[in-house]
Amino acid sequence: MEPYEVFRQEKDGDPMRHGGNVLAPDPELALHYARELFGRRGESDRLWIVRRSDIQVLEDADLLHPPLDRSFKKPGGYVMRDKLAAARGRAGTTKPGARAAAHDTTGRRGASGPEASPSRGGAGA
Amino acid sequence: MTGPATGPATVRPTTIDPEAVARAVAPLGAATRRALGDLVLSMADDEFVSGFTDSEWTGIAPVLEEDVAMSSISQDELGHARGLYELLAAILDDGRDADAIAYDRSPAQYRHAALLDHARGTWADTIARRFLYELADEARLGSIGDGFAPLSDLVGKLRREERYHRMHAVAWLRRLAEGGTEARRRLEAALAALEPDAASVFTPLAGEAELLEAGILTRPLAAAEAAWRADLTTILVPLGLDLQPQQAEARVTAPARFGVGRMSHGKAFDWLHSQFTMVRATDPQAIW
Amino acid sequence: MTDPLALDPVLPVRQRSERPWNDDLPHDERFAHFEAHVTAGGKIEATDWMPDEYRTAVLRFVEMHANSELMGVLPEREWIMRAPTLRRKLALTAKVQDEVGHAQLLYRVAEDLGKPREAMLDDLIAGKTKFHNVFHYPTASWGDIGIIAWLVDAAAIVAQQALRDSSYAPYARTMQKICWEESVHIMHGRDVVVTLVNGTPAQRDLVQDALDRWWGPLMQMHGPRSDRSKDRDLHWRIKAKTSEELRQEFLTIYVPRILELGLSIPDPDLRFDQAAGEWRYSEPDWNELRTVVTGHGPKSQERLEFRRLNREDTRWVREQVLGVAPVLAA
Repeated sequence: MEPYEVFRQEKDGDPMRHGGNVLAPDPELALHYARELFGRRGESDRLWIVRRSDIQVLEDADLLHPPLDRSFKKPGGYVMRDKLAAARGRAGTTKPGARAAAHDTTGRRGASGPEASPSRGGAGA
Repeated sequence: MTGPATGPATVRPTTIDPEAVARAVAPLGAATRRALGDLVLSMADDEFVSGFTDSEWTGIAPVLEEDVAMSSISQDELGHARGLYELLAAILDDGRDADAIAYDRSPAQYRHAALLDHARGTWADTIARRFLYELADEARLGSIGDGFAPLSDLVGKLRREERYHRMHAVAWLRRLAEGGTEARRRLEAALAALEPDAASVFTPLAGEAELLEAGILTRPLAAAEAAWRADLTTILVPLGLDLQPQQAEARVTAPARFGVGRMSHGKAFDWLHSQFTMVRATDPQAIW
Repeated sequence: MTDPLALDPVLPVRQRSERPWNDDLPHDERFAHFEAHVTAGGKIEATDWMPDEYRTAVLRFVEMHANSELMGVLPEREWIMRAPTLRRKLALTAKVQDEVGHAQLLYRVAEDLGKPREAMLDDLIAGKTKFHNVFHYPTASWGDIGIIAWLVDAAAIVAQQALRDSSYAPYARTMQKICWEESVHIMHGRDVVVTLVNGTPAQRDLVQDALDRWWGPLMQMHGPRSDRSKDRDLHWRIKAKTSEELRQEFLTIYVPRILELGLSIPDPDLRFDQAAGEWRYSEPDWNELRTVVTGHGPKSQERLEFRRLNREDTRWVREQVLGVAPVLAA
């Protein structure tokens, strides 16, 4: 008997998320038990069942959180507030209203692009 | 939950539509309707007793993971029984709901097959019984035609759920057959003890001719039994297991409408009956 | 190419690792890093280094929880066979199945901390480890089934919700799944109770009688008041609330729901003290609690013996077929 990790997808298109693990003597029964523990109520659309010993784990901080600056790789690394204020000052313009269309940069499903409207740009640029 | 003013409490069905059933029943002749009721009763009682017996494993199975699996299977069987009793209540339309049919009969009035009239037993006994029953149920369900739509609709759903049961029963049959001397010995003994009753799921019904004519059955139960034997052979022979179940008794003796394999029950069922009627019998009119 | 290790002297050790207690440091330093992390709300995984005190405390906590789920099956199991309708039978079987599932999840967490399941089951049956008081009592009627499913599960869920933020992450994640599943049990239990209360006089008596017998054990269930500053499980954030906080929470939610059904609670001193902002109640019988959890409850030995016999009956399946190694006697 050894542990099998179970990943589940709750609904169509969702990522696989770790649900837990079961003890089983082999993959055939691991499948049955995964279905029972993580799918008997119809709560999952899909299950991945993986022997724990087959999973490679990476948790080395040197690789995952290396110490030197990497802000150029992330949205938070670009703060333009002061530069935009200077540019507006030079051009004699004001900040576009709060309702101006912008890209939703969160990457969430269902986010739509900017409306076809005269005012473009804004905070999300 | 509503019911007639002075009758027992009745429960709204969860699986079938009583109006659709009433419409489907209307054109049937009396003999066909009676035969249909017998068929559904035999199926419902089989699932009810099977599910009840196996629900005893809840909390005490060999390993926790298997406990959860067996409990799911027994709940499925009870859910199938519930659907079939609901269908039967709509067909008979005699004022009883599914619970009344399931619970309010004397032991002698139940029509489950002799194969299921055994105590839970050991894990080997249970696996042997489940294996024989699941394959028989598959052959039986595979004999239901579309002559009566509410039944064929329900059977379509049951077949999808039963796939998992078959997988589990066969997986465990193999494991016991190949699990070492003691496991194999226990399995062989369990199969031998069930051999006389193994084919009882195919016990003939008096109304089979009517059911065949109405397209409710696509083949006689004897033909389903033959298919079942072939299925058993493909699994048992490679495992070196031998089973020669006696043929289900071929005749139905009037005035009985069922063959001998469904007509008498033993102490194990008497005990089960005393359990499942214990609370309800304190007040059959009450709502629980 | 520059040897990456040449950077070592440049970066201090603390900056190099997010989880310094896992680094090759003297024990006292590892302990200090670990304690700082946990007391600040940080999480621990199964593969982390842990001080012995923490590992022992978590294991004991989770093991008792797992034992309780497993033993909690037995009082209700008898009534699976006796449920009076098809729906109740299905619901009760599903509920008890969930308890078994919870035991499985919790024993898995404990196994990953280093104790084999067979050893835990051996210790439970031998009376070396404990399970919650409520599972040492008999279930006398269908009324008990309603009261247990509703109020015992409710008292349990109050505790379990507080554990969803436990410092031991595998346990915390398991608690999230368990809480979600338990919420259905409480609904089932409440449905049984409300149905009985709306039924015949005999049915109402059944549930009132059950409540009269179960109130004492329920009030004892969360345990005696403890000193927050002395509670090591609180210190390590294994749990987040004291016994008294849990009991107060239970009373606040459930007393009104019990009373609204026209049921009476068998404690004449039970009342909410507005000024103090808390419930006053007759002091629970802590002697009874101690007696019961040490294996002297009305059903303790009978249920442990039942477990022992069943385990023996199915031993061949585990050892011959599933390849589970028996634990050698110490």
